[in-house]
Amino acid sequence: MTAALTRPVRPRRRHLRAALLVLPAVIPVAFVVIGGVGTTLLQSLGLMPLVGSAELSTAAFNDSDELLTSALLSLSIAVVSTAIAAVIGFFTAVLIISGNWGGRIVGALGAAAVTVPHLVGAATVGLLLSDSGVLARLFGVAPDAWPALVAGPTWFAVIAEYAWKESAFIALIIVGTLATRITSYDETAAVLGAHRFARLRLVLFPLAAPSLLVASAIAFAYTLGSYEVAWMLGQTYPEPLSVMALRLFNSASLTARPEAAAIGVITVVLTAVVVAAAMLGLRRMRAWR
Amino acid sequence: MTLSTSNVDVDRAQRIQHERRMPGDAGRPLSQSRGVMRTARIGSTALMSLWFALPFLPLVLWSFANSWSAPDLLPMTLGVDGLTAALANGAVAAFGDSLLLSLIVAAIATPLGAMAARALSRRTLPFGRLVSVLLFSPVLLPPFAAVLGINVVLLRAWVPPELGVILVLVVVAIPYTTFSMRVAYAAYDDGFDEAARTLGATSRFALWRIHLPLIAPALARSAFLAFLVGWSDYLVTLVVGGGQLVTLPLIIASSASGIGNESSVAVLSLSAVIPPLILLAFVSRARNLNPGKQS
Repeated sequence: MTAALTRPVRPRRRHLRAALLVLPAVIPVAFVVIGGVGTTLLQSLGLMPLVGSAELSTAAFNDSDELLTSALLSLSIAVVSTAIAAVIGFFTAVLIISGNWGGRIVGALGAAAVTVPHLVGAATVGLLLSDSGVLARLFGVAPDAWPALVAGPTWFAVIAEYAWKESAFIALIIVGTLATRITSYDETAAVLGAHRFARLRLVLFPLAAPSLLVASAIAFAYTLGSYEVAWMLGQTYPEPLSVMALRLFNSASLTARPEAAAIGVITVVLTAVVVAAAMLGLRRMRAWR
Repeated sequence: MTLSTSNVDVDRAQRIQHERRMPGDAGRPLSQSRGVMRTARIGSTALMSLWFALPFLPLVLWSFANSWSAPDLLPMTLGVDGLTAALANGAVAAFGDSLLLSLIVAAIATPLGAMAARALSRRTLPFGRLVSVLLFSPVLLPPFAAVLGINVVLLRAWVPPELGVILVLVVVAIPYTTFSMRVAYAAYDDGFDEAARTLGATSRFALWRIHLPLIAPALARSAFLAFLVGWSDYLVTLVVGGGQLVTLPLIIASSASGIGNESSVAVLSLSAVIPPLILLAFVSRARNLNPGKQS
């Protein structure tokens, strides 16, 4: 112990020192998170109107059909893209951990994909998948015959962009947190005669599962709350929650602000439910302990 | 028995040190694959490389295309029209603003994250779990939900929009810096600080000459993550910045919503992709310090 060597420090002073170290981070985070979500909640309940007197009402939540459509759309996009990203991310991580030269190339490309801003990702996926995009030219398909991948009913381009970025993120999280541990267990299993697929199923997957779950939960939360990709590559109707909220927020109508805030509150609740479920799943995983 | 330095093979010791596995290093191939398995491995490697590399292709092709009408496989005429259009859109100023904003966010969020991680790793912090959850929460929070609310608070408090953007982005970056520094501190050996203090170093000397050099690679990684948060942001700059701050993503978005701007969008996007890649190359070269090394 550092403290024991230099001079005796009373526990209360140690608590104080630790608290002083952590406060500069805690204060701004608490201000933005609690202040931001709290204000959004107050706005959604009509307690912080731009004009007029504050009055408690749930009017902003009344348009339930519209809200339900948007919520289901947002959830479907997030579920599909996170599922694809988790599968690709896990296998990418296995490739990287395997340590072959190919793994190194995939690792470098994945790291490059992680650094690309989502907005740039959306712009380039648009250039790739649109009806006169690079892929349509590569396959020699005429613009009329090319399926509506961008701004189409399948939300293909939006899902592809999220899956691309988040698969790289998930792979790097798995590699970063577990590579060393996984390798030693993997080697032990190999020495004991475990075959390739047995090692994948019984060693690599169970050891990677907790970080896979955590990374997927983060990717899911991000996808659910993200705005720019769905706004650039998506259909105009129906809208995901974030796009609808920003449209209402920027609209001229004064009643739209509480509605935008209500969508924010709904998104926070949905995210919290999914993250709580992921944390419960994490607790049940034995490898985490 | 005489002791000679020739018994100590410094080169070999350094090589072993170099070959020692660090957290985050990849493993080594356990077995040589043959036949079908070899084909499968090469095939899956190629597929994954294609998956990650393909979205970069349009950026490169469109950046230097002056005209490229629909059915043609490659651009018809090459040129710098895209670059000219991007420059006319204020690309240079936006690039400068993006860079400045990201550097400020990194400069603030990295020390805050490192200090918080140090406190959390010592386990003497009251309500440690609650603090961890709070510091991690911005990652899970939908940005637009917090931004709609905090925007009102910042406006009513008369906070200048630029400061507001920095504040919110620092908060978004803190989970990344705190978490990556916690991983570093989990593997950190307090013995070096203790040894320095025992030998009479002041606490300030121990901090600057022992502690910081030892955690420098982790600090660089954290700062890189915080830089990325500022560099990638669109929504916070748009809503909280209220048009005062025009960063690169903002002009990319406005160019991309127009028609026929492909080459200008590609040039702008490429200029947004390259700086993080250069930083990534530097950061991934920063290895953990070898405390026994003579310099």
